[in-house]
Amino acid sequence: VKVLHRLAAAAVLLLAPSAAEAHLVNTRLGDFYGGALHPLTAFEEVLPWLALAALAAFQGAARARWLVVVFPLSLFAGCALSQLLPSPSFIPAIAVALIAITGLSVAAAVRLPLPVLLGLTAVMGLVHGLQNGQAMTATTDRLLFISGVTAIGYGVMTIATGAAIAFLRGVGGWRPIALRASGSWVAAVGIMVLALQFLTPVTN
Amino acid sequence: MQNTPLRSSLSIAVLLTLVPLTSALAHTGAGVASGLQSGFLHPITGFDHLVAMVAVGLWGAQLRNPAIWILPITFPLVMAMGGLLGVSGVPLPLSEPVVALSGIALGLLIALHVRLPLVVAMLVVGIFAVFHGYAHGRELPDAADPTAYAVGFVVATGLLHLCGIVIGLLIMWPIGARAVRACGAAIGCVGAYFLLASLGVIQ
Repeated sequence: VKVLHRLAAAAVLLLAPSAAEAHLVNTRLGDFYGGALHPLTAFEEVLPWLALAALAAFQGAARARWLVVVFPLSLFAGCALSQLLPSPSFIPAIAVALIAITGLSVAAAVRLPLPVLLGLTAVMGLVHGLQNGQAMTATTDRLLFISGVTAIGYGVMTIATGAAIAFLRGVGGWRPIALRASGSWVAAVGIMVLALQFLTPVTN
Repeated sequence: MQNTPLRSSLSIAVLLTLVPLTSALAHTGAGVASGLQSGFLHPITGFDHLVAMVAVGLWGAQLRNPAIWILPITFPLVMAMGGLLGVSGVPLPLSEPVVALSGIALGLLIALHVRLPLVVAMLVVGIFAVFHGYAHGRELPDAADPTAYAVGFVVATGLLHLCGIVIGLLIMWPIGARAVRACGAAIGCVGAYFLLASLGVIQ
């Protein structure tokens, strides 16, 4: 029943933002919610978050727990850095590459050393923090916005990692296979969008 | 007492869904929705793509473990390479006839219950995946939101594989195994129709 609750909560969190759009200046929810909703409105961020959670689940609960701490802290640091430094031009390419890397890692169900897992988590948090931080305007309450981004990072990563671990613990040899197949989907998206970053697309 | 956590979870879920989410900044939801929809519908509305995707799942189920899961994992990864070629505009001759041919080939393999070695099966599926990915990739740069478009068509492709696998589970019964082979024959016929259409033999 607990697993169902987690899955239901995760589904609500992940599906609800599909309707989000427009700009912070139009919001009536405040800067905290603006920050909290911003990462969920882009597949470029939601996909690698879910893939990272699945990858962590393959490493076991003891290792996966570290993500719950490292990821939101990295997001916070990335958002804060965005206010101090101009964002390097290669950040969008790294963000897309992270989709492919995490997806391929899940598809292969690789066993990563803890420092590598945490390094990947920190890089993703910093990159996405930088990207989200850039969305702040002159009138945005920075503390509220960054708190929102950090809170949603913590919430999504906790729920997704917990759900993935519970899913893998269930009965049936198909469960890791299903997770690996979903990783291959994420990797496929990442590879194609990465191609768009580097190749000159030919429009019809 | 067991209903209490369920009630609290439902309350949270209802509260979350009531939050008006029309105001996050920067990303255009309309572009995401449109890209997702067009990407999702691309493999489904193209019947030649649809039958070939179902055939991959069917054949995987027929070949049993480990092909049942290796083929559907191989397909999207190799399809992404085809998508990459499509995005970059590399000319891939006869892409439409080969997509149709994939339906014929996979349909025949299912209908005749051909049990190829796993590596060869992966190669066959991989070659066809390149052409399917190429067709999708050609549309990618024009999409309202390319990432959402890619998510849409990859998810649709994966779900069609899953449909094929679920239908393929009928092989557990003798009559079901015959039904699966009949599905293969039907897929082959659909592929033949599209091949003739792509060559201009029939309108």
